[in-house]
Amino acid sequence: MSLILRAHVATAAQGVVPSWPLESFIAVNPLAGDEARPFETAAAADVRFTRSRDDYLRDLNEGRITAADLEAALLERTPELAGVITIGGMAVRRTHAAVLDMTSASWVSPTVANDRSSWLDDYLSAWVSSYVNPDPLWQMPHKQQGFFGAWRALARHDSRLPRAVRRRLSEVPLEPDAALAWALDQLAVPANTVTAALREELAFLPGWVAHIKWRAEKIGDIDLTSYLAVRWTVRALRAVGVPAAPVAPVTVDPAAAVWSRADAVAAEIVGPAATREDTAALARVLAWHPVSAHPFTWQKAYELHYRAALLPALIDSDPADDPPELQVVMCIDPRSEGMRRHLERAPAVETFGFAGFFGVPVRFARYGARSAVNSLPALLSPRHQVTEQPTAPERAERVVARGRNRDAVRTAVHSADSSTATPFAFAETTGWLYGATSVLRTFTPTLHARLGRGLAGSRKSLDTTVAVADAFSLDERAAIAETGVRMMGMSLFAPLVILAGHSSESTNNLYESALDCGACGGNPGAANARSAAAIFNDPDVRALLRARGIDIPESSFFVGAEHNTVTDSVDLLDRHLIPESHRQLAQRFEQVQGTAADELVRERANDLPGASARKHPSRVRRRAHDWAEVYPELGLAGNAAMIIGPRRMTRGVDLGRRVFLHSYETMLDPNGTALETIMTAPLVVAQWINHQYYFSALNPTTLGAGTKTIHNAVGTIGVLAGHSGDLRRGLPWQSVGIGSRLFHEPLRLAVIIEAPLDRVGGIVSRNQVLRNLFDNDWITLTARDDRGSAWHRYTPYGWKSTPAMEGQYR
Amino acid sequence: MNNLTKMTRLEVVVPARDAPSIRELIASAGATGYTSVSGVSGIGHHGQHSGALLFNEYDTLTMLITVLPPDKAGDLIDAVRELLSTSSGVMFVADTYVSRPDYFQ
Repeated sequence: MSLILRAHVATAAQGVVPSWPLESFIAVNPLAGDEARPFETAAAADVRFTRSRDDYLRDLNEGRITAADLEAALLERTPELAGVITIGGMAVRRTHAAVLDMTSASWVSPTVANDRSSWLDDYLSAWVSSYVNPDPLWQMPHKQQGFFGAWRALARHDSRLPRAVRRRLSEVPLEPDAALAWALDQLAVPANTVTAALREELAFLPGWVAHIKWRAEKIGDIDLTSYLAVRWTVRALRAVGVPAAPVAPVTVDPAAAVWSRADAVAAEIVGPAATREDTAALARVLAWHPVSAHPFTWQKAYELHYRAALLPALIDSDPADDPPELQVVMCIDPRSEGMRRHLERAPAVETFGFAGFFGVPVRFARYGARSAVNSLPALLSPRHQVTEQPTAPERAERVVARGRNRDAVRTAVHSADSSTATPFAFAETTGWLYGATSVLRTFTPTLHARLGRGLAGSRKSLDTTVAVADAFSLDERAAIAETGVRMMGMSLFAPLVILAGHSSESTNNLYESALDCGACGGNPGAANARSAAAIFNDPDVRALLRARGIDIPESSFFVGAEHNTVTDSVDLLDRHLIPESHRQLAQRFEQVQGTAADELVRERANDLPGASARKHPSRVRRRAHDWAEVYPELGLAGNAAMIIGPRRMTRGVDLGRRVFLHSYETMLDPNGTALETIMTAPLVVAQWINHQYYFSALNPTTLGAGTKTIHNAVGTIGVLAGHSGDLRRGLPWQSVGIGSRLFHEPLRLAVIIEAPLDRVGGIVSRNQVLRNLFDNDWITLTARDDRGSAWHRYTPYGWKSTPAMEGQYR
Repeated sequence: MNNLTKMTRLEVVVPARDAPSIRELIASAGATGYTSVSGVSGIGHHGQHSGALLFNEYDTLTMLITVLPPDKAGDLIDAVRELLSTSSGVMFVADTYVSRPDYFQ
């Protein structure tokens, strides 16, 4: 019985998307479990898949969506609407009639605020958060017995349960599987409805359930069977019935029957003279496009408008005649697009886009660190441990010892601050100091941060090297380098090649890791950049590469760097390794970068709430240290497209920091392996991020984390809104909107590739993850063979060249 | 047959993201071990599947192979069938023979 019950639990949880803890935030599509279904049919009763009708109508009035966009969207989604009909003696495009229908027929969005929270939810939330909290004031007793065992042992003392219920706890089996079976039996759940009943139960605390699913796979101290066992046991003991499925709200105005819609359109085209035949002809057309399809056509038009402007903007600049002095490889993250654009204003600079972990998936531990981080995409498991080696071990020992002492002081202060007995005495004795530093921190955050760094001493001043050769064999290192070169399409090498990862610096921000590098598992990308640079500089690796046709000249030196996306500084790392012969180039880069950073900060100030491009860039940069700042930066807000192709397509084009850019050259990838790797990894990560933003924007309180201002942290795991309730999923409102207004445009990712169409199509057809995404319209794909070829749209039935491409329909 | 002991072998091919559930069932069924092959390729009900991907272990197929005594296999077969009833994946069941049965008890 218990084995089949475990299968029922696993089946019920198939649609649950694991949720990573906040300390290594990974953007995911919260509805990834539905990607095997068409986007449109995955729509659930309480999830918004599109914006509201009023939003789209406002866009139509303001020109953000045009009638031409709507007609193009109609043709793309419903080809039967091609052609004309005769109404009142006039030839009318069917799409025009359908557009008139879309602007007149009404529909309502699903109700998102479907509050189903109950006493049982609050009860379970308190127990689960106590059990998984990594830093509790008191350790939960009996924790070694697992979640169900601990709860069963302690619940008899829990006054929130009625006395009669607590007395019956002894009847409950000891093991979670048996207890779950017992509870289902007590509540007389029929065998053929067990999976559905469990699925319904899992829907009550989706945030905790998603985190438990992640935890069961990665840590193993709790699983969904034990969670469900507690829920159902409490239900059985309190005689609370089986959970009821939510009632689906009516989303379509019943009055919008096709005949009345046709009447309205006929009146608009012909006026009062419209005949019954006119209405009948229009009804036959409109029947192809029911009101339930309207939201998705509006959304498609909204997206087409963006894409139709983007494609003609790709200007195909001619490459520079002279080889560049500096090459900068940056993450595909849209924030890099701004930095690359500004850096390239200097003719000596050439930039590339590559996944921010630079193809080096590592578990990284700093020198003297107590723990390591998985600095690699969530799509991979860590297999290679990389550590640091100090170049001056004695000094390093002293720095680490000082750091440990500081940690000890911090821990002691935290204990005194949070212990039950000491807070008042602690406040009495140290309040004056904290008061003064609080004033300093509030009014001069940059000075406070500088003083803090000065007092603490910085680990950054410690010269180290990454021991990448200990983690990867020579063959593996050569394979990493070759893969990187072929994926980036790098054929010439500048004297100085800078591999720039990125990180975000902010204070008092629980979502800081959501602003770090997604390709590095929500961590800063410096470790990977340094590791990759070490690999590329390795003479043995270069010798192997030479034998494979990749000649990196001896005069080329690679160096790691890190782009701070709040201040837009790009700091060179491991400067002590830069040879004397390249120091002047490094200084040249720093000059170019300093100018680019100031320009980019001013550009970003136009979008940042509360910032002004007219003020000095330091006003924006101080946000990194401002503990009251809820908008340290806008992260990847606005992301809308991904371009895979040579930089000449986009060099000099302002893409508004909205596009993931992955460099690629068909010529350097003879068998298509590099393109397949790009399409099955960086593209998938970009899609996860895109859908995280999409659904957080449309469902800010259910699939997004709501406003930051009421968040309470559960250790480093996640946040609650207030003091109880579900663990919040997704991005906070401050990542997608301000006030009641969205600044993130929820657009599904438009993937644009320059590579042979048959190669692209072949890769899609042999990878189910891509088939699901493209065939089911979760994201779109547009491609062209090479420079000068026509753009084609991918459809499940083949490539189509349509006027919706390249803006011709405007 | 050559002093071999009859056992039941299950081979399950599922998307890598569903493999943890299968592994949990195998362990719960009392199997003493399993073999996992990641990045398997082929053509099936859902079309073609590429093999191992360089930077994505999450969207490939995984084959899990386990051997256990026939009296323990029935529950596991039922459980895996239940799990596969709503998701993609295949299960092959066959008799097999082992030389050291105590390894599989």
